[in-house]
Amino acid sequence: MKRDEGGVRRRLIAASCALLSASAGRTEEAPNTGVQRALTDWSLDSALAYYHEDGRVQAVEPVVSVSKAYGDGASIGLNLTFDALSGASPNGASPSSTPQTFASPSGKSLTGGKHSYTTAPGDLPEDPHYSDLRAALGVDWTLPLERLLTAGFGAKLSYEDDFYSGSVNASIARDFNQKNTTVSFGASYEADSLHPIGGTPVPLSSYALFEKTGNQSKDGAGLLLNLTQVMSRNWLSEVSLSLDRFTGYLNDPYKIISVIDASGDVRGYIYENRPDSRTRRSVYLDNRVAWERSSTGLSLRYMTDDWGIHSETAQLHLRWWTAERDKYVQPTLRWYRQSAASFYSPWLFDSTAPQLSTASSDSRLAALQALTYGLKYGIKLRDKLGRESSEFNVRIEYYQQTQENRLPGPGTLRGLDLYPDLKAILVQIGFSY
Amino acid sequence: MNRRVLSLFLIIGAAALASGCVSLGVKPWQRDLLSRQDMQLNGNVLDDAIDDHLYFSKEASSGGRSFAGGGCGCN
Amino acid sequence: MAQTARNSPAGPLVVEERTRNFYAASFSAMAGPCEVLIHTSNREHALELGELVAHEAWRVEQKYSRYRDDSVLAWIHRNRGNEISVDAETTSLLDFAAHCYELSDGRFDVTSGVLRRAWRFDGSDRVPEQAAVKRLLPLVGFDKLRWQPPKLLLPLDMELDFGGIGKEYAVDRAYDLAVAHRSDPFLINFGGDLRTNRAPPDAPWRVGIERPGAEREAALVLTLERGALATSGDSRRFLLKDSVRYGHILDPRSGWPVPNAPRSVTVAASSCTEAGLLATLAMLQGAQASCFLEAQQVQHWVLE
Repeated sequence: MKRDEGGVRRRLIAASCALLSASAGRTEEAPNTGVQRALTDWSLDSALAYYHEDGRVQAVEPVVSVSKAYGDGASIGLNLTFDALSGASPNGASPSSTPQTFASPSGKSLTGGKHSYTTAPGDLPEDPHYSDLRAALGVDWTLPLERLLTAGFGAKLSYEDDFYSGSVNASIARDFNQKNTTVSFGASYEADSLHPIGGTPVPLSSYALFEKTGNQSKDGAGLLLNLTQVMSRNWLSEVSLSLDRFTGYLNDPYKIISVIDASGDVRGYIYENRPDSRTRRSVYLDNRVAWERSSTGLSLRYMTDDWGIHSETAQLHLRWWTAERDKYVQPTLRWYRQSAASFYSPWLFDSTAPQLSTASSDSRLAALQALTYGLKYGIKLRDKLGRESSEFNVRIEYYQQTQENRLPGPGTLRGLDLYPDLKAILVQIGFSY
Repeated sequence: MNRRVLSLFLIIGAAALASGCVSLGVKPWQRDLLSRQDMQLNGNVLDDAIDDHLYFSKEASSGGRSFAGGGCGCN
Repeated sequence: MAQTARNSPAGPLVVEERTRNFYAASFSAMAGPCEVLIHTSNREHALELGELVAHEAWRVEQKYSRYRDDSVLAWIHRNRGNEISVDAETTSLLDFAAHCYELSDGRFDVTSGVLRRAWRFDGSDRVPEQAAVKRLLPLVGFDKLRWQPPKLLLPLDMELDFGGIGKEYAVDRAYDLAVAHRSDPFLINFGGDLRTNRAPPDAPWRVGIERPGAEREAALVLTLERGALATSGDSRRFLLKDSVRYGHILDPRSGWPVPNAPRSVTVAASSCTEAGLLATLAMLQGAQASCFLEAQQVQHWVLE
């Protein structure tokens, strides 16, 4: 009856090991977190982007964003952006069969450069001395109010030598359903002040006369309603509705419109004028699906405004991770289409121009379609304990914009390429910690 | 597509999504994949900001998923 | 002191910062208070770990609870007299119960739950009649059920009860999940059954063992750096008649409590299941509890 008492423990150890290892083999409820992330409450995101349009502007844009997370769930973030643009920017006039010379009465070009410039026949008129330097600072603050309620605040200031902007925003978010559903509501307000170089032109006035007025301003408010829903372990869905309205000086002070006669010859140029208010509504949907080593996302946006513009945007991305989860590749595709503003016209006829109250030939208000192809490559670095600590990435994008509704020009404009495509490339390197 | 029909479809789709939401979801310990960086809705803030700035300066639409308004003089 | 609470169908999970860099996630499971202590400066991590551990505790409880009719145990009982195939986890638990039955010479028996019908340990002096206990003995005995994994045949009128190992098993399962999820020092404590992965950087965990009869006073304070602790004791469940104290751990072979069992036995081992079994077996040795544990060469503390 008496057993070898010392052997009981040995056998018990063996039995309990068998029990616990059998259970550990089941992964149905075990979390799969892959590689652990290193614990840190500070994070840094930085990127340097270089943008180059074929034959037009180029820009260098460094961005840095720092954020700190607090134990109670609050977080504070600061971001800094610099933007240096230079190159040739379309001035809004159309190509012509004869050379065109542009200069402001003071000898300065439209955008402050000290030279006048001439465009060859058939070329798109562009101010070759366009340059702009911008600095922007943003802060944001997230604050949990209660167990399921979070508030967010943000403010941003932007400075260029002809444009100042300040904005604030606030939002509140509530979680439901074990944090599977989140509803948030936000509001924002922006106030901008414009002091164009050389003065603000009187809208629709003659380019040659360059009548100026003083500084201008605009402001606007926006509302945003967002619903985020976890659909399943792999699938996250989001829908947003937004509304915003801007009033004030909404023109581009540097853009002119060619006034031509029936035979296509240029009679003159006038400064553009847009309505003094713009109300926009948009619906945005985003869906992301994840698998063990890859994920995909598709987002759709539909926007409509009271300028007659409506647009559709679709963006698809795919991400693939290597087996060790330390590198990824991410191709992206974006398709965009917009209709023209009701007051858009690539040029104006001299017979009708005087009767118009609003007109713009800014190609950004035209009916157009754009495609972006992108590829991103990232490398995750690990610390001594094998936890993810930082990331290096490089991204390249090719953007091509094509005008739709290419109305052929009358007379001497026939046969000219009045709507050249915009082709641009973006190259970016980034580092995150 | 008829603009009105499209916007109606999107609103209904959003409402359907919202009404069906009460029973959808996962348990807290099933959030492993969702917590991965590429599944975060704000996972690529800098890329989005640079792209948004680019599109704001070349197109007539902006925002939609966050506050609109460019804060720059480029449009 | 900010608190974060989550609500789940099984009850609230409350996370609070006890002291700097020390969070405690508390919840209720297996008829008692449970908590996870974690040494971290990040509340989100504490909450994640708390949720992970709580959900595993609730999962095990829901699966093997005697009191729920949606548990696997209830399903097994509804199919008494029929041969059924049980799932992988239940298979490993039954295999473990079989090993323990054998190495304890029948003292540890998961079919001994029927004896509950005669014994109610409510601190009173109502000790059952010999005859009442004798009537129940034929329904006790692991060797009476047919176990050919994964096929089980539980005879009519017999009962299965994992209560003797359920809590310790839940601690070990939650521990395995927690340790795969985070590397911060943590301590899982399900009503006195504990396990930790490692000690916090400044000092090891301090655990107080209550003196039976004088709850809230720590009779013993142990320091724990890694591994598990389980305590078996009668401090709240006993009968007292004619100055004889009857502890609630019954010997399945006789149907009666073990005479002269210590008031409380605490064992340290590498897993909670192992520690819990050794503590129970020690109690079943009665007066020989200390000798038994010494022979097993485990760290133990016996309170008489």
